[in-house]
Amino acid sequence: MTGTGMGQADLRLGRRVFGSAQLLVMAIVNRTPDSFYRPGVTWDPAAALERVHTMVAEGADIVDIGGVPARPGDEVDVREEVRRVVPFIAAVRGAYPDLVISVDTWRHEVGRAACAAGADLLNDSWGGWDTRLAEVAAQAGAGIVCSHAGGLPPRTRPFRVAYDDVVRDVLARTLALADRALEAGVERARIIIDPAHDFGKNTWHSLEITRRLGDLAGTGWPVLVSMSNKDFIGETLDVAVDDRLAGTLAATAVCAWLGARVFRAHHVRETRHALDVVSAIRGDIPPARAVRGLA
Amino acid sequence: MWSRRSVATSRPREQSEGWRSPVITAAVLCPAPPLLHPGLTGQQAVVPELRAACAQAAGRLLRDDPEVIVVAGPATATGEWDAAGRLDPAAYAPGVARTETGSLPLPLPLGLGAMLLDQAGFRGRRRLLAVGQDEPASACAALGAAIAASQDRTALLVMGDGSARRTLRAPGYLDPRAAFFDAEVERAVRAGVLDALLGLDQALARDLMATGRPAWQMLAGAMRDLAPAAEVLYCADPFGVAYLVACLRPADP
Repeated sequence: MTGTGMGQADLRLGRRVFGSAQLLVMAIVNRTPDSFYRPGVTWDPAAALERVHTMVAEGADIVDIGGVPARPGDEVDVREEVRRVVPFIAAVRGAYPDLVISVDTWRHEVGRAACAAGADLLNDSWGGWDTRLAEVAAQAGAGIVCSHAGGLPPRTRPFRVAYDDVVRDVLARTLALADRALEAGVERARIIIDPAHDFGKNTWHSLEITRRLGDLAGTGWPVLVSMSNKDFIGETLDVAVDDRLAGTLAATAVCAWLGARVFRAHHVRETRHALDVVSAIRGDIPPARAVRGLA
Repeated sequence: MWSRRSVATSRPREQSEGWRSPVITAAVLCPAPPLLHPGLTGQQAVVPELRAACAQAAGRLLRDDPEVIVVAGPATATGEWDAAGRLDPAAYAPGVARTETGSLPLPLPLGLGAMLLDQAGFRGRRRLLAVGQDEPASACAALGAAIAASQDRTALLVMGDGSARRTLRAPGYLDPRAAFFDAEVERAVRAGVLDALLGLDQALARDLMATGRPAWQMLAGAMRDLAPAAEVLYCADPFGVAYLVACLRPADP
């Protein structure tokens, strides 16, 4: 049994409405000089916009624009984060009136400026650290991602984290955040939950939330997974960051089968292909072109 | 010669005043690959021009307002199928919606023929006639003659394919005899010399996976002495199987 459509409603992002059987690719665009995967590749605004064009052409449904790496490093204050992401969001919005734009931030000030520039979704990877972010989403009519970081402050690494039951903790924290977003006035159809692989978790924990992803999908909230090239893939295979695509796609297919609906990814084309195969196996989409044995 | 696409040079003639129409008002030849069914090729039509040619040809059968349309096609055994029957596309694509008719699902050629009549909007009487794949030419021709001897003005929709061994990528791989076999069929149809179809070698046809042979020989029996005029709407082998779409009308006396 898969999570397809089990109590799942439409997901609304920006002007778009996505049915429960649609699997969405959220393409990562880092406006940073020092992110973990190919640092600085989209630091230059022109290169970043070119990257967006490519990702849209490859089948991205959402672009997720971030200005602060998840890992510890040089301080990026609000002003600098705004400088990195907000003009760029405006440029993407100018080029693509209907594309869903997400901003990867935990700060409400950045979220507010991003929404004013055209962002549709606030991707709060740090589990509601800034409690005012949901209010910003509500005021802007935007969506919000409610993620599980195990209570860690932003930009910190897990240190000997332990859970009685990591999935229970993920459910408790993400559902509480979703309820809080609802109370703040965010539209129900614009709220997403994210178990946040690697955030506040060791590799065993990330494998466990993948294995039991159906528990999250079973809540009825749309589930986002962000696994692309992450350490739990790297440690599972003992491979470096540039050698994690196959592992990422395997985890992607498993999560899709178990009911995740949004997939944050660096490799858009490959992720789109993996998801389309899962959709076709499930019978949600037909093959693109079937001739074998039918001529 | 078989080409990617060839267009007719001969056109059916109009009936003249005072001439009594034969029982067979018209006949159409269509191939019967599963990919003719719009639900079986996925998001792409794959060969839209083939589907369009078949639809156009089936539409022509309705022109003369026949009292009955006989769909004929090869199957395991000779016999008549329930006229309410339909193809079950789920047999070819599990997960695709089944067709619920209350009847046994039809053999592929009859099912596709029934589909073409449905698509053409035909609501009149239809008969679905399977011609056994191992029937000799004489038996096939006799089946056709029996139809021609009926009292009803009848149109024929004859479903069947040429060789499936025309290229290296064909379902049956390449057989150098395939091109000649298919060319003979095409020549006979274009010229309206259907008797030539009765001469098709049964064993060779089987070797070449040319499943249309018995149905074409039935057609030859049904239109004997009518010297029909032919219009070929499609004649190509995009996947190494010979597909022929043609309309035949009895010539003026």
